[in-house]
Amino acid sequence: MINFGFSINKPRTIDIDRNNLRKSNEILREMPELQTCIGCGTCTATCTAGNLTDFNFRKVHTQVRRGEYQGVYEELNKCMLCGKCRMLCPRGINTRGVVMLIKRKLGDF
Amino acid sequence: MTFYAQFCIPFIIGTFFLAAVVIIKYVSWLRNLPKSDLKLIAKGLFSTRTIAAVWEVVCESLLHRRIFRVNPLLGYMHMSLAFGWFLLIVVGWIETVAYLGFEWVPLQGHVFFKYFVPLNGITAHKPMFDFAMDMLLLFVLSGVALAWAKRVRSRMMGMKRTTKHIFFDRVALSALWFIFPTRLVAESITAAIYGGGGFLTGGIGSLLAQNIGVEYLQMAYEPIWWLYSIALGTFFVAMPFSRYMHIFTEIPLIFLRHYRVRPEIKEKSYDNFEVEACSRCGICIDPCQLQLQLGINDVQSVYFLRDRRYNMLQQKIANNCLMCGRCEQICPVGINLNTLRQNSRTSMRNIPNEGRYNYLRGLDRSEGEGKVGYFAGCMTLLTPNTLTSMQRIFEAAHERVWWADKEGGVCCGRPLRLSGETDSAQKMVDFNKALFAKHNITTLVTSCPICLRIFKEEYNLEGVEVLHHSEYILRLIRQGRLRTGYSAEQRFTYHDPCELGRGSGIYDEPRAVIEAVGQLLEPDHNRRNAFCCGSSVANTAINDAQQLTIASKVAEELDSTGADIVVTACPQCKKAITRGSKLRVMDLSEVVAQNLK
Repeated sequence: MINFGFSINKPRTIDIDRNNLRKSNEILREMPELQTCIGCGTCTATCTAGNLTDFNFRKVHTQVRRGEYQGVYEELNKCMLCGKCRMLCPRGINTRGVVMLIKRKLGDF
Repeated sequence: MTFYAQFCIPFIIGTFFLAAVVIIKYVSWLRNLPKSDLKLIAKGLFSTRTIAAVWEVVCESLLHRRIFRVNPLLGYMHMSLAFGWFLLIVVGWIETVAYLGFEWVPLQGHVFFKYFVPLNGITAHKPMFDFAMDMLLLFVLSGVALAWAKRVRSRMMGMKRTTKHIFFDRVALSALWFIFPTRLVAESITAAIYGGGGFLTGGIGSLLAQNIGVEYLQMAYEPIWWLYSIALGTFFVAMPFSRYMHIFTEIPLIFLRHYRVRPEIKEKSYDNFEVEACSRCGICIDPCQLQLQLGINDVQSVYFLRDRRYNMLQQKIANNCLMCGRCEQICPVGINLNTLRQNSRTSMRNIPNEGRYNYLRGLDRSEGEGKVGYFAGCMTLLTPNTLTSMQRIFEAAHERVWWADKEGGVCCGRPLRLSGETDSAQKMVDFNKALFAKHNITTLVTSCPICLRIFKEEYNLEGVEVLHHSEYILRLIRQGRLRTGYSAEQRFTYHDPCELGRGSGIYDEPRAVIEAVGQLLEPDHNRRNAFCCGSSVANTAINDAQQLTIASKVAEELDSTGADIVVTACPQCKKAITRGSKLRVMDLSEVVAQNLK
């Protein structure tokens, strides 16, 4: 196959009815402001860890809200909690609190 | 001679119980101290530090000097209770010696001496002691009266809010309030029946004898001594489980502190001394901005320590703190509140993960070369004016600079550390340390006080001088390498960042730099009492609106100074105050860069 330097994502579907939204709902209940996210991606654009790796905070918290938790904890471990995303978020979401909350709900503390 | 009566039983039980619990607590805490702390104690025990500690015990545990500084009336209240009671015990003991010589008298014999005098048929009368003891009792009673008045109106002692107490504290508090009035009545009735007593007990005694009659007083005689003994006993039993444990615990704490034992990033046995030395006086409540400006009233240091002591600390309480240090600098016991808060967070959230920051390996995005290194820090990268101003300053001073993170670097680790993930934060510390070592710098300049603090406290950079940009710029000006234009028409006001001021003790350097450029107008709360901007990275609990409320209140005060420009020396503070202030907000470096000659 010719290598064009890019690839296409595999097709996938997200069935929210089948996903287990229990944790997701718990997280949104504790941090309702996360629902005001407009998905602008500023958090990801400014991210210190995102600058060095493929860590993508917008993607991660969107996945969590959809009930797709696999690999999220490990991915969030790349975060340095430096707080730049919180400083720039146009909706004023407490992003550092979100990181800590998701890790608490999905991890082991 | 007999020194026993049935009413002494509650007192005796209480005393032995108290002694047993206190000894068990202290022995177990001391035994669990880490080896390094025990070594420090052994080293300090036979040195002048012990003498200094004794002096501080007298000044603080008895005289309460630091509370006097907060408010004289509040200080008097604490002193009259502590020092007065102490003197009552000491003079009471001397009194029994004066009457009986050096004969062994059991404890209750000293405490209830006035009861045993007529019982043992001692007829000798020592008016000097009667007077002294009555004076002291009056001294203590004035403190109790003030304590009652404080319940009704705490503002007269400069406290807008006082602590909300738990059940055990209320039991102990009520017992304490009863002790001295019942003692007064008991000794007065004794004086009425058997004579004697000084101006207070004797005077009240003769009044009672005239108006009520001795036969009725005789009926009340035993019950009132019972009541006094019960009040003492109840207080002693409740004491080790209530806030009054501080009475004893402050003493070993002062000694340990003089031996250089300190709390650390991880919890250790020494913390028990600090936690139980908290008297829940509530002096930390008023300065807390979460209380003052947001009305949150269950997270302050007094409640944090209480929850921690009774093992009911929740993450949301531990996380809801700006760690601005305003409470720490006013705490009359001198408890390291920020360190304790931080090590509680560590216990709750520290999960070692070796591979967590593997992606840092081999990373180096630094540029330039020079003996002076500049670490912008994450937040400074979001205030690019600061960065370009620093660049202009470096150029003007002809300094060759190594830029550590101009194109994006690795966080200093302090925000993660403050959140409790200490071991993971260490990975970043190690990374940055290695980076600094690799580029052979001798001076490290940063414009972020958050980074500054961890560089100074945790990095142990040998052979590298760590400077905040305010210190560095002032040095350049003083060396004549940087020439600035002065104009008295430029009026500035300065906001002290918490991490720079209370955190690192840098108050004068930024002020000196501003005064080299223009006129400086101080806000009402400055230096040690400066407000926090509200956006502290230490707090992960309050939301954006709450941060904005704090920032607006702080900005209001800065705006009212009459200055044209608000200056600060922290990118985080700059961003926060800009949101609340009507004035232009600038970083110190911008002000300097703008006025370069």
